[in-house]
Amino acid sequence: MAYLEMDNVSIGFGPPSNRTEVLKDINLSVEENEFVAVIGFSGSGKSTLMSLLSGLQRPDKGEVRLHGSIVENPGPSLGIMFQNYSLLPWLTVFGNIELAVRQVFPGFTKAQVKEHVERYVEMVSLTPALEKNPHELSGGMRQRVSLARTLAMQPEVLLLDEPLSALDALTRAVLQDEIIRIWEEDKRTVVMITNDVDEATLMADRIVPLTLGPEATLAEPFPVTMERPRDRANLNKNPDFMKLKNSVTRFMVGMNKDAKDLKVDSSIKMPDIIPYDFTPPKRASVKVR
Amino acid sequence: MAESTKDKIKYRILKALDVSGFTAFDPVIRLIFGEEPQKQFAAIVKYLVIPTIFVLSCIWLWSWFGPRHKTKSGEVPTPDIVWESVKINDTIADREKVKKSDFLLSGSEREAALEEVVRDYAILTEQVDAAKALVAEKETEKANRVARLIAPLDEKYESLKDEYKETAKARDAEIARISKEVSEGKTEAAVLIAAIRNDSVATDLERAELSVIKTQIDEIRSQKYKPLDQARKEYDSVADKQFFMKTRLEFLDDRNLYVKLDEAQSELKEYMTELSTAGSAKDALKIAKRAVRAEESAARLEGQEYASAVTIYHQTKRSIFTVFVGFFMAAFVAIPVGIMCGLNKIFMACMTPIISIFKPVSPVVWLLIFQIVVGAFFPDPENHALLNFLNNLPLVSSLEINPALIFSACTVAMCAVWPALVNTALGVASIDQDHVNVARVLRLGFWSRLFKIVIPSALPLVFAGLRISLGVGWMVLIAAEALSSSDGLGKFVWDEYQNGSSLTFANIIMVCFVVGIIGFFLDRMMIILQRFVSFDGGGTSV
Amino acid sequence: MTNIRKWISTASVALAITSLQGEQLDLEKDELKFGFIKLTDCAPIVIAKEKGFFEEEGLQVEVIAQPNWKQLLDNVINGELDGAHMLSGQPIAATIGFGTKAHIVTAYTLDLNGNGITVSNAIWEQMQENDPALDTDTPPHPITADALAPIVEEKLEEGSKLQMGMVFPVSTHNYEIRYWLAAAGIHPGFYTSEDKKGFTNAQVELSVTPPPQMPATLESGNISGYCVGEPWNQQAVAKGIGVPVTTNYDIWKNNPEKVFGVSAKWAEENPNTHIAVVKALIRAGKWLDESDDDGVLVNREEAVRILSQPNYVGADFDVIKNSMTGYFYFQKTDKREMPDFNVFFKYHSTYPWYSDGVWFLTQMRRWGQITEAKPAEWYDEIAKEVYLPEVYLEAAKHLLEEGHIEETDIPWDTDGYKPATDEFIDGILYDPKDPIGYLNSHEIGNKD
Repeated sequence: MAYLEMDNVSIGFGPPSNRTEVLKDINLSVEENEFVAVIGFSGSGKSTLMSLLSGLQRPDKGEVRLHGSIVENPGPSLGIMFQNYSLLPWLTVFGNIELAVRQVFPGFTKAQVKEHVERYVEMVSLTPALEKNPHELSGGMRQRVSLARTLAMQPEVLLLDEPLSALDALTRAVLQDEIIRIWEEDKRTVVMITNDVDEATLMADRIVPLTLGPEATLAEPFPVTMERPRDRANLNKNPDFMKLKNSVTRFMVGMNKDAKDLKVDSSIKMPDIIPYDFTPPKRASVKVR
Repeated sequence: MAESTKDKIKYRILKALDVSGFTAFDPVIRLIFGEEPQKQFAAIVKYLVIPTIFVLSCIWLWSWFGPRHKTKSGEVPTPDIVWESVKINDTIADREKVKKSDFLLSGSEREAALEEVVRDYAILTEQVDAAKALVAEKETEKANRVARLIAPLDEKYESLKDEYKETAKARDAEIARISKEVSEGKTEAAVLIAAIRNDSVATDLERAELSVIKTQIDEIRSQKYKPLDQARKEYDSVADKQFFMKTRLEFLDDRNLYVKLDEAQSELKEYMTELSTAGSAKDALKIAKRAVRAEESAARLEGQEYASAVTIYHQTKRSIFTVFVGFFMAAFVAIPVGIMCGLNKIFMACMTPIISIFKPVSPVVWLLIFQIVVGAFFPDPENHALLNFLNNLPLVSSLEINPALIFSACTVAMCAVWPALVNTALGVASIDQDHVNVARVLRLGFWSRLFKIVIPSALPLVFAGLRISLGVGWMVLIAAEALSSSDGLGKFVWDEYQNGSSLTFANIIMVCFVVGIIGFFLDRMMIILQRFVSFDGGGTSV
Repeated sequence: MTNIRKWISTASVALAITSLQGEQLDLEKDELKFGFIKLTDCAPIVIAKEKGFFEEEGLQVEVIAQPNWKQLLDNVINGELDGAHMLSGQPIAATIGFGTKAHIVTAYTLDLNGNGITVSNAIWEQMQENDPALDTDTPPHPITADALAPIVEEKLEEGSKLQMGMVFPVSTHNYEIRYWLAAAGIHPGFYTSEDKKGFTNAQVELSVTPPPQMPATLESGNISGYCVGEPWNQQAVAKGIGVPVTTNYDIWKNNPEKVFGVSAKWAEENPNTHIAVVKALIRAGKWLDESDDDGVLVNREEAVRILSQPNYVGADFDVIKNSMTGYFYFQKTDKREMPDFNVFFKYHSTYPWYSDGVWFLTQMRRWGQITEAKPAEWYDEIAKEVYLPEVYLEAAKHLLEEGHIEETDIPWDTDGYKPATDEFIDGILYDPKDPIGYLNSHEIGNKD
């Protein structure tokens, strides 16, 4: 039995007569301490997937299970880091994290809370900004506060919903490294959603593509077998990396094209013949709907 | 290093200006600190000098149009008259203070003051006599002048009147003649009718001419004679002072608290000595009873305070107090109810009809209703526990809290409750879904969710609502006070209107400015509060 | 200067002596609030306060302007005020339950006369046309409503009714203007159990307008004339808005005008305080009517100075002075001596006469405010319920002992009824002991 599982999960919205299925038949199992990246186009239902995993939303069909038991409500054990930071603007950096810490560790003394908060703020290198309000911080800093808050809860599973999407390339790289460092230091199970193939390849153990919505589902995963620590500077010279990146990209682009073709059905019907192919298939067949 | 502290001060001032909404003075501060003088001068001209010129020209327009626009009930007072009424009100307040201190003076101080006042009074009496003589002189002057001007007109009027009387008589005779002829059948009836018609036309014409002359005479009579007005004004002012001195005399002498106390005590002593020499038991009892009474009255005197007349300052203070009482009542109801509305759709559905129906109701209607409702709570206002408690609090006690104040405040609350309620409900209902998710992930309980997430997130809108509420309340208060005759600026306006004196309209316009300026400061206060609770660091519309 | 000092020292000695002689009453309540309407006849209350007469009785009095007669009465009933300056008809109407029902009593009549009827300039011109005798600067008085009758008829032919103003349904002004109109055969309308406005059968419609609004309402043309107290007639002259045609002195010589009213409950609970208040008021009245050997009212100018303060009547000094100092301006050119325009003490005026109460009751019956016929005894009973001469006499007794008044100032032995009088504009005899006969002697109005 896997550590975190999604079993035939479907979700949709709207009345039965005009129902839009957002996700359909999602199956995903994540092992303990695994780093899984879910990659997909915007609007394909990634955030909904995250909500389901964290328990903020309940599936219409199927089950989400965390070590065997069904996830019914959100909670600190499933630490979700929201795409748009979700910091409380009326609290300082310290206050935001403190709120979470006090809630998760009700037994802590005041000093312990303080120490705990400061440790995590330090981890994301924001100690100088401890007493600042969120609106005084840049996007990247807020992102990091959000990360620190999620980490400070010491969740069993870290659910990162496009944690770096809003950042410029440089900050992004810094934070990527930081997330990996923290993950490695403090091994946890991570599910990260992203739309950046490079990022997924760099960080994850496994990349799971999400097909285009509606009725999006998970495609066959791409395992990432590169050794850690992965050296960002030399990655582009690494043939494994390039190959993996290319195949994921090709898969994603192809999917997009297919979807487009499906939508605008102007294709000429091809003769139903298959040319004989002498080369053996390189990979497992790719399902395209 | 010095540079940076200077900058710090500068930015602190700029920040204060920004928070309080006085950004127009921004360039002045920057200029003082020598920052880009040219740019600052341009900004000062644009945002300070031009508006000032505009306001000044408005005042000029006012002073120009004022005297040209009048009814018989009064004319629009010019700025200088309004300013004069400000000074008069200040004098009234000042005199009350003097009288009060006179009332409480004792010993040699009292004697010294009395001597001084006696001297002043004598001087003023002389001045009053002189002024009176001057007025009489000017009155005869005016009367002579008017008589001179009117004489020819009057003559003309009388002679015309006589003349017309004659012509009218002639016409009447003519008509009588014709009618006789008609009755005898010598003339046609149409001639008679024509004659009568002519007569009435002629009569009307004559009357019109007479009335033209009369109007001219009236005009001459109602013309103002400046020296007389001047003399009257002069007389009025010294007579007023003299009267004030006379009142002071009384307060320094037999109406002075300590004088009265001395008297009472000596009276008591007298009774005591009488008592010791009383002849019979009956007499002794009678005198002893008197002594007890005298003792009581002496005790009562000791507690006596000077009953000050109500001044504009007192009215203003009381108005501000009343508006805050009403405002806090409104907030006390609006915030919890608003939060419940925002949290619970069913509750919101229950409240919606109530809010929509009562929101547009006029304050006047509320006042009349509260008069009954609140009145029922205070069947005996003199001995009501709540009122007695409030009237014994420090600071508040001088304001004399009575049912009228309470129902004025209730009226204010009733009208001010809606913006705060609606905004609170909106603020709570429109809470960011992300923040709700945070609460869910953290598994916050109901109360911590309320106090740590919902209320802080709704606070800026709540304060925006409170700011509108306070503005509405202040506006409503003046009407409520005028109608309920609860002391305050509203009552001041109403009293002034009822006085119908020559300064009535000037005083009303003065109150206009007082109300406006206080309203402005109340609003600014709320803006500052709103800034403190707004977490996005954004500006608040001014 | 030395004169003044002497005056002061003698005054304080005199005061010390008098206060030795009199003993202060055992007051039930010493902090009082009195209401008034901004009219010059509130003077005794204001003077008693400002000249310290209340203080000398050990009373701390606050005098508060009220917005209108109704609110003033309500405030007395609900206890917000201890007592007030009231229309003579108010305690009576409240006691019999016309309007707000409450038992109100009075032990002090504040003044006599003091009202006037003012018509607009246009009406005055038409009246002058109708009666050439009026067309001078100083027309002969009294002016009756005879010259007004053709104007009323003309209006009625046009299908409209002349509108006039008065201040309150049970005010003396209402009865006076009705009397004046009816004396000239103009019907001012009946009150009935349905018609609380008093428009039934009216040839002239009388509506309620608060005194201070009278001049402005007249100027705006909503009404063509009004009956009101001072300073609102003099105000019309001063501003050239209208012409006072008559005063109530001409309608009924020395008629009672305002009273000092308190609730019966208050009077019962505070008998000594009530006496103390009446004592102060009597002294104030006497002070106001004090005159020198030539009959010149010596204290009136000071009284005017006090009344013109904004917290009292507040009108301009000159305007109040016009009527208060023994003169009355009928037009700017027509200033007449009227020493009795305001009587505050003379002629035993401050005594609460039962006969005054009966007159008001007959007027209420005459115009239908009392809807059914009552026997003559009823008039007497009601008057005795409302008027409290025993309180007045008690107060007077104290004052006499203290030397503040003279024996002749007070009608000690009266039964409360003034002798019959015919000093009315229409010469009809009023015998207070025969109210029914009086009612029946009028042409217009209810008869029993």
